[in-house]
Amino acid sequence: MKRDHLIILGIVAALVAWPLLMGNYAVSQANRAMIYALAALSFSLLAGRLGWFSLCQTTFAGISGYTIAILGVRYGLPFPLVVTLALLFTAVSAVIFGLLTVRSRQVSFLMLTLALGQMVWALSFQWVDVTGGYNGIAGVRMPAYGGLNLNDTRVFYILVATVTVAIFLAVWRLYRSPFGLLLLGIQENEQRMRALGHPVYLARFTAFVLAGMIGGVAGVFLVYDMGIMSPSPLGLGHAVWVLTAAVLGGYRTLLGPALGVAVLIALETLVSQYTDRHMMVIGLVLLLSILLMPRGLAEVFEQYFKRKSKPQASVTTTTRGEEP
Amino acid sequence: MKHAKTLIISGMSALAVGSAAHLQADDGLRVGVIGPTTGVFSFFGEQQRMGVELAMEELADRLEALDLEVRFYDSQGDAETTVDRLRAMESRDDVDLVVGPVLGGTGLAGLEWAKGSGMPMVISYSAPEDITMRDRAENVVRAGWTGAQPMFAFGQYVAEELGHQRIIAVGQDYSFPYNQLGGFLKGFCAAGGESVERIWHPTGTSDYSSILATLPDGDAVLYNGAGSDGLAFFQQYHDFGIDARMPLLGGSNFFAVGDLPEMGEEAIGGLSALQYAEGLETDEFVAFRDAFWDMHGDDVMPLAPAEHGYVAFKMAVNAFESANGGDRDALIAALRETEMPDAPRGPFYLDEYGNPVQNIYINEVQEVDGRLVNVPIKTYEEVSQFGPFDPEEYLAGEPDSRDFPPGDCSDPYYD
Repeated sequence: MKRDHLIILGIVAALVAWPLLMGNYAVSQANRAMIYALAALSFSLLAGRLGWFSLCQTTFAGISGYTIAILGVRYGLPFPLVVTLALLFTAVSAVIFGLLTVRSRQVSFLMLTLALGQMVWALSFQWVDVTGGYNGIAGVRMPAYGGLNLNDTRVFYILVATVTVAIFLAVWRLYRSPFGLLLLGIQENEQRMRALGHPVYLARFTAFVLAGMIGGVAGVFLVYDMGIMSPSPLGLGHAVWVLTAAVLGGYRTLLGPALGVAVLIALETLVSQYTDRHMMVIGLVLLLSILLMPRGLAEVFEQYFKRKSKPQASVTTTTRGEEP
Repeated sequence: MKHAKTLIISGMSALAVGSAAHLQADDGLRVGVIGPTTGVFSFFGEQQRMGVELAMEELADRLEALDLEVRFYDSQGDAETTVDRLRAMESRDDVDLVVGPVLGGTGLAGLEWAKGSGMPMVISYSAPEDITMRDRAENVVRAGWTGAQPMFAFGQYVAEELGHQRIIAVGQDYSFPYNQLGGFLKGFCAAGGESVERIWHPTGTSDYSSILATLPDGDAVLYNGAGSDGLAFFQQYHDFGIDARMPLLGGSNFFAVGDLPEMGEEAIGGLSALQYAEGLETDEFVAFRDAFWDMHGDDVMPLAPAEHGYVAFKMAVNAFESANGGDRDALIAALRETEMPDAPRGPFYLDEYGNPVQNIYINEVQEVDGRLVNVPIKTYEEVSQFGPFDPEEYLAGEPDSRDFPPGDCSDPYYD
């Protein structure tokens, strides 16, 4: 318990120090990293707790991004209202998607989320009157309150960092709550949880909507960070990127997804400065990492620390299946 | 095993720290060139890069006198990556001027960023018209074209010279073809055409039998699209034998040189329009083409993205010289005054909105020295992005979309 608090303090300290020590570009990179950390967290909440690998978490980000672009730019609604409506609309979409997917497992869940994600992507691409199609909707800006311009990289950073930390803390509490344990239990043995009288579908559905909402928050920041909303963040490439980051960092842990995103963004930025073949270098690093650390970076760190302290019982899944 | 893990982890942390650290900045001038050099559209980015490299070689002395350095950035054809690289140029690498982006979506994302940043930017091949129209920014000019620009003239040519009255337009379902067809329609109807019927298909369609089997009758078919979609359409169009009934006209990218060998002899005689033609025989063009072949090998034909990159870079160097350094306001003012009397594509100057006023060529596919190339058979001089129309009126109108402007030339819109 104590070590966890130390880690949290360390992370908050690093987040405070970053904009004080680093240049503008590093701060804008950190903004992107935090936005995608939220998307990866949204993915990991389902993958790590329920064994549900979703390809539509970036879709929720896209839905909220488009809502903001359309209501904010086309209709000129005020910023707080736009954000509220975006999150509301994301929640509604998550409820609809959740109803469609709640009974599926693993592969069928993956395929359903793939189909839903691609449908929304196609819609954003082809429903030109509303979404602007391929060109997207430009001019998405945050307001300035008094002298505080929220579009400024560093001011934006404070906003994103505060919300990101708050959401990670909330998910941290969630993972430790009876509800979080129930989710793990469902992944481990659905039948038994049902036999114990737990509302399995309701729990999964709730988790799905929560994850969708986290994706929606990521979308809010994503669209204001870019200033333009186009179909590209809804594409399969971005969904797979988030999956890769989460797996690389360790989707079973709380901090793994954030770590994976940070490492991937750092790699991309650094390697692409030197060569056009950056995708190959990154691919090689991914290959090696996944071969050597199949459970992700975060879990390797965790084990390294645990070896020093006394071993704890951990709740992770080994096998999944039906009761005989 | 254990060491390998430690190595990877420490390597990654070192990378993370290293990438965040500030890089050096010195007093010299810098130009950042951005385009998709990886990914599906890398062809366009590579062309731009080769064009810029050629200009760099030609202007080597002037670059040295200016102490000007060039850096290339990969947009991956993605809007978000483009914005990220642009931010890196400004706040990490101290870039003074940007050449690019190349693709439509990345161009709009780049424009949006440039509005916030104030960075002088010369957009090269990226063609959405609003970059220099409804969303224009003082600090952004364009060395290339708008999607509609060559098509005004093409519409006029098809109606006046070919005498076609009714056109069936098939095209990829996104904004660039909408804009191309929009320009075509405005030119076509003004020159006495009758009607254009639109059929859109999703990008990435490989089977056109359902479209071709039910193709309405008209005087000609205009295909607005390119790449593998265009190739498949071309082949199936001929397999169905429709070419015997109605000739096939192309949007600006349809008869792209890269696709001509695969289209084969059936492409000969194919008509399209662009502000560029690799079959030009002017001295400026031949010199450009030969220098390009000397540098990059004569198996690569310089196409419009290469020429636009080449010209955009020259515009940038001229601007640095007349601004006497990297002062933003002076650079922007100089860029806006650009005149290029000796560009390979032909002379052009920028209109007050920052887009070239230039020659539009009606191109015909011909076989020249064993290669299939687009040879200009008619030139429309000094065509602006508004075609023959009044800028104020044009800007007040709706932007082109899936079903705008109207396909019927007797619609009151055309009065």
